[in-house]
Amino acid sequence: MNTRRLATLAALALAAGSTLSSRCLALVDAWEFEVYPYNTLSRGMAEFETDNSFVSSGHELGGDGLSNGTVPSRRTWYNSYEVTYGLTDRIEAALYLNMAEPASGGLRWAGDNLRLRGRLFDEETLPVNLGWYLELEWHKTPQFDDAVRELEFRPIIEKDFGRLALMVNPKFEKVLAGAGHDQGVEFGYDAAVHYRWTRRLSPGLEFYGGTGLIDQADPGTSQQHYIFPTVWGEFPGGLEYNFGVGYGLTRGSDRVVFKFNVELEGFVGAIIKKASSDRGWFF
Amino acid sequence: MEIHFADGHFVPEKLSVQAGSPFVIKVVNLSSERIEFESFKLNREKVVEPGKTILVKVPALRPGTYDFFDDFNEKVPEGSIVAQ
Repeated sequence: MNTRRLATLAALALAAGSTLSSRCLALVDAWEFEVYPYNTLSRGMAEFETDNSFVSSGHELGGDGLSNGTVPSRRTWYNSYEVTYGLTDRIEAALYLNMAEPASGGLRWAGDNLRLRGRLFDEETLPVNLGWYLELEWHKTPQFDDAVRELEFRPIIEKDFGRLALMVNPKFEKVLAGAGHDQGVEFGYDAAVHYRWTRRLSPGLEFYGGTGLIDQADPGTSQQHYIFPTVWGEFPGGLEYNFGVGYGLTRGSDRVVFKFNVELEGFVGAIIKKASSDRGWFF
Repeated sequence: MEIHFADGHFVPEKLSVQAGSPFVIKVVNLSSERIEFESFKLNREKVVEPGKTILVKVPALRPGTYDFFDDFNEKVPEGSIVAQ
């Protein structure tokens, strides 16, 4: 066996090994095109939210674009329901129900998430407002993901420049069970620039993407990056909305994605009676 | 700088502040209702329990008018902070 043939076989073996151990990276979450701000719900407040996205033009094979499982993303409606509750004035908890209706039809269960999110210190204490986000995810495999359970952590960074808010959520995700559990940490990002024009209608620009594993980034064309021009605001009666059209910027991204999120909040009663201290930083 | 909420109104409804200097607003809820002190333009939103006080930190503002209202009750007249 000559050297060239040996090298070819070694390359094929490496590629096969890499394929077997890798997974469809879930850095862009089709169920939640939302960038988190620094603010959290006040103690005793509850919020009901439904987030929706629809891939009008995208990949036809499972595992490509926004699909992390065997169901292709093209013409799939991703639909989630989220209930959030303000535990303290700085920490909120949320439960998600994720559903999906693929092009083949039939709305079905795709997974659940359990999330804690908090803000550190009071606003204007630090040069930028900081928060944190910790989420445990369960997925319906293999249809909607190839990982059974994942843990996600995001620092939340927000800076207001007058009526312009800049929000950045770097995302770090680790598979706990299922395909990819032996791999490292994946990196992605959600970011937004929102201009506070009027309470009823304001413009924004949002960015979502992922680069792959921290220690082994995907090739640029395989990564997913999206830009969403959005409008957001509040209807009379307090129903808040965020609507946008997303454009994939790489070959690995789906081409066009619509998103429509609505939420309604109200006071339901505090289980922790003591208000958070103005001098506190975590609780 | 202090704003009181009583009888379904914020008092004062118009607050003048110096542009270019950060400030803190003390919101005192003298009513028996829970309110949510919110300012869309200032990106601030806090619940104030009956009889309680909250502090709202505001950065240096450019000259202009900034809204505030009770997000729990649309009938409460909107107030304004004028930075000049």
